[in-house]
Amino acid sequence: MIRNIILIALGLFAMSSTALMSQDNENVFPYDYEVNTLENGLKIITIPMPSNGIVSYYTLVRTGARDEYEQGKTGFAHFFEHMMFRGTKKYPGTVYDSLIISIGADGNAYTTDDYTAYHLSLSKEDLDLVMELESDRFQNLSYPEADFKTEAGAVYGEYRKNITNPISVLWEKLKYTAYDKHTYKHSTIGFVEDIKAMPTLYEYSMEFYSNYYRPENSILMVAGDISTADILEKAKNYYGEWEQGYTAPKVESEPEQTAARSAEVKYDGKTNPIVGIGYKAEAFDATDKSVIARELIGDLAFGSNSDLYKKLYLKEQKVQYISPYFPQNRDPFMSIIYTMVNDPSDIDYVKAEVQKSVDWFQNNLVDKKKLEDLKKRQKYAFLMSLDTPANVAGNLARIVAITGGMDAVEQYFQTLASITPEDIQAEAKTMSEDKRTIIELQGAK
Amino acid sequence: MRNFKTINILALTILLALTATSCRTGDKADDEMNTNKVLMQVDNDPIVAYNIWFKVGSVNDPQGKEGLTYLTAEMMADASTKSNDYSAILEKMYPMASGYGAKVDKEMTTFRGKTHKDNLDEYNKLFMDAVLNPAFKEEDFNRVKNNTLNYIKNVLRYSSDEELGKFALYNYVFEGTPYGHLMVGSVEGIENITLEDIKQHHKNYFNANNYTIGLGGGYPSDMVDKVDTELNKLQDTAINTMVDVTPKPINGLEVLLVEKENNSTAISFGFPIYVRRGDDDFFALALFSSWLGEHRNQSSHLFQVIRGARGLNYGDYAYIERFLNGGRLNKPDPNNGRNNPLFEVWIRPVQHIHRHFALRAAMRELQKVVDNGMTEEQFETTKNFLNKYSIHWAATTSERLGYQVDSEFYGIEDGGNYINHFREKIKNLTLEQVNAAIKKHIQYNNVKIAMITSDAEQFKSDLVSNADSPIEYNSPKPDIVMEEDKDISTYKLDIKEENVTIVPVDEMFQK
Repeated sequence: MIRNIILIALGLFAMSSTALMSQDNENVFPYDYEVNTLENGLKIITIPMPSNGIVSYYTLVRTGARDEYEQGKTGFAHFFEHMMFRGTKKYPGTVYDSLIISIGADGNAYTTDDYTAYHLSLSKEDLDLVMELESDRFQNLSYPEADFKTEAGAVYGEYRKNITNPISVLWEKLKYTAYDKHTYKHSTIGFVEDIKAMPTLYEYSMEFYSNYYRPENSILMVAGDISTADILEKAKNYYGEWEQGYTAPKVESEPEQTAARSAEVKYDGKTNPIVGIGYKAEAFDATDKSVIARELIGDLAFGSNSDLYKKLYLKEQKVQYISPYFPQNRDPFMSIIYTMVNDPSDIDYVKAEVQKSVDWFQNNLVDKKKLEDLKKRQKYAFLMSLDTPANVAGNLARIVAITGGMDAVEQYFQTLASITPEDIQAEAKTMSEDKRTIIELQGAK
Repeated sequence: MRNFKTINILALTILLALTATSCRTGDKADDEMNTNKVLMQVDNDPIVAYNIWFKVGSVNDPQGKEGLTYLTAEMMADASTKSNDYSAILEKMYPMASGYGAKVDKEMTTFRGKTHKDNLDEYNKLFMDAVLNPAFKEEDFNRVKNNTLNYIKNVLRYSSDEELGKFALYNYVFEGTPYGHLMVGSVEGIENITLEDIKQHHKNYFNANNYTIGLGGGYPSDMVDKVDTELNKLQDTAINTMVDVTPKPINGLEVLLVEKENNSTAISFGFPIYVRRGDDDFFALALFSSWLGEHRNQSSHLFQVIRGARGLNYGDYAYIERFLNGGRLNKPDPNNGRNNPLFEVWIRPVQHIHRHFALRAAMRELQKVVDNGMTEEQFETTKNFLNKYSIHWAATTSERLGYQVDSEFYGIEDGGNYINHFREKIKNLTLEQVNAAIKKHIQYNNVKIAMITSDAEQFKSDLVSNADSPIEYNSPKPDIVMEEDKDISTYKLDIKEENVTIVPVDEMFQK
């Protein structure tokens, strides 16, 4: 529906956090899985599940926009993801494409702030070919400079396409305003001047590949009609020679925010005003009650069952939508509330209402039933998201990539089950005004 | 008119994560109620999927009240019922992590949703209540109307030029017909609609004789009768929903330039084809359009020419059925069955300096394949590709159910599994059939082109005068590309001045 557009727009930059479930004392994830590591450090997660011959094949590289710490290199992780489709000496880009076409695999890739994912859905009889192709491009990528420059044009096209959306404009400004040192200052697609300069960075692309596309920085996740033994044997064969050599990026920590921040930004098209309010948050840690409590506050205070949603959207109809985006991140990021205000004269009122809602959670204990309903909701959302291999792997990708394994899944559920109204209140108290950044976007016309 | 569609679950051999077992056949209640049903019971599936289809769409909007079907459906799916305020509905749905929504297309409206079977009784109650007993409250009406107007005036006109371009093309081709406005309506149409209109529209079209029940997944066997008994409480009215949709013939190349301040030009072009899903030539054309421009796929020929070799944009695709939300979705969302499809090409935004070149490049590729047909190699490659690739289109129970409802719309006898049917048809195609279908249905002389751009007057003058559009790159390109560029940049597009219309973006979708 219409108000979901904001969520769709956000999907351009980062995958939303997977809603996981709460359940006492048992493994929550319904399929047996195994995590194995090759000698070179490549982690392999296998999730056999019934799927009538369909397999989902994910390669997660734990490098994303977060790792772009060098001046002038923003957006490079995403650009590089494009280059991964430009081939090797053995299988040049067009040959790679034609082989993927020949097996009718559904393949693509995406880049987020924290990681990059390469994924294919395929028939199990094509696993050997896919592993041959995938292992080859992760070890032997090679493309001429002309291809590199041509692809930069496609990336600039992607930027131009995205930036017509006001949410993209707001998102850029929010990150830019809230961060001083950390690389979360820029969006995944990068600063426009860096995108325009991409064609000059051919040499750097080799360096980037050599630094980050290494087995100890990557995870293979395979779900569907497979056997772990078979995948491991094949993986040893195809990926065993992949050499280590990961060089960690020098990502600076963000100093603690000590005063409220705000900025205004103009959008060239027509739009109702949009307000984005971000509160600094901790890095994701599935065992940390405060982290999980913070996630829940997003839903409790600003989700479709919150008092504020009912007041601002349904009753008073001051906003087109109000929506929480409280993502899981590798480094400390933000918990964000987005809202589109119908009448510009109500912007201050809506901003005040958002803070009032936070204040309420600081001063009161949330209703136990509401909290339990939310835990139940997490359970059903999770159960219903695991219906195909692609959905299983796709929904796990973020948590696996940012934590480096599967342990966080069960830990998350255990922590979730233990959250009390008091935990919610304690966490709400950390959402103070001095940790807040507010961006107001107005249309040009 | 008894048409009890039974899905042969055993034939559902693809992508079935769960064990499929029995499927019921007709029973007494069904005989009495004469209801169409699309049933896809899957044992052990923890999810139950709903797809309730009414034969009504935006073609049934009265003139001057464009948007009436959409607002009516939203007032059912996204608003209060007589027993529950909308906020109470959200509260009840919340712990189930479930919901339902309406999809209004040109000729069909579906109410779709899914829930975990643990919650089925409560969910079913809420779902049925929404369809049967909408409260039509003023406050919901104001909200829904306001959201819809905001969607047209701000989101569609401003936030994505490529989606704007596609909708502009459809309205342009079907101007003056019941297909000629957006599914959500027009600004003035929506402003003219009253709550009384909506109540009447609900009574007339969402009636007991106009629905098909689609159920999939792990529902218990008595569920079908339960749903049918409920829906049979709808008004016992009868109304003819068929309308005449005959687009004006296209004379040569007709161009609509939507003028706005933007950084790139979005291009869509196409023309009506009289081939619907299920027709003999449909599968041949499906193979052709897959080769020319499989959606979001590097294998697309246009993608290779415009993006792969030249880096002019993010992607380039071709279609013989409307693919809604193509910027966001990688595979089609079912349930926009249409009796009046277009052949359509979508060129994602290119820099303004490349707009003329990109249009020429795409039209030239179209001409080449129409004149010369596909080669044996292209044909074989695409055939193998589609045979396997198509299994990814319907991975979940909800998606498969959606396809089967569409088969009901088109009257396709597919044995209960459209995707397998499609694969069989593709497997049996010959190159001769495909090239004959291209010759018969695809052409390049009478085409409507919709483009979203800045400085439209200049572009118009370039187009009408057939000005050369040479291109420069920031990197060396192979000789073969440079040679071809010479042909592309002077490729003649015969566009007459009187065939070019410029419309400011704020006038789009106004009436």
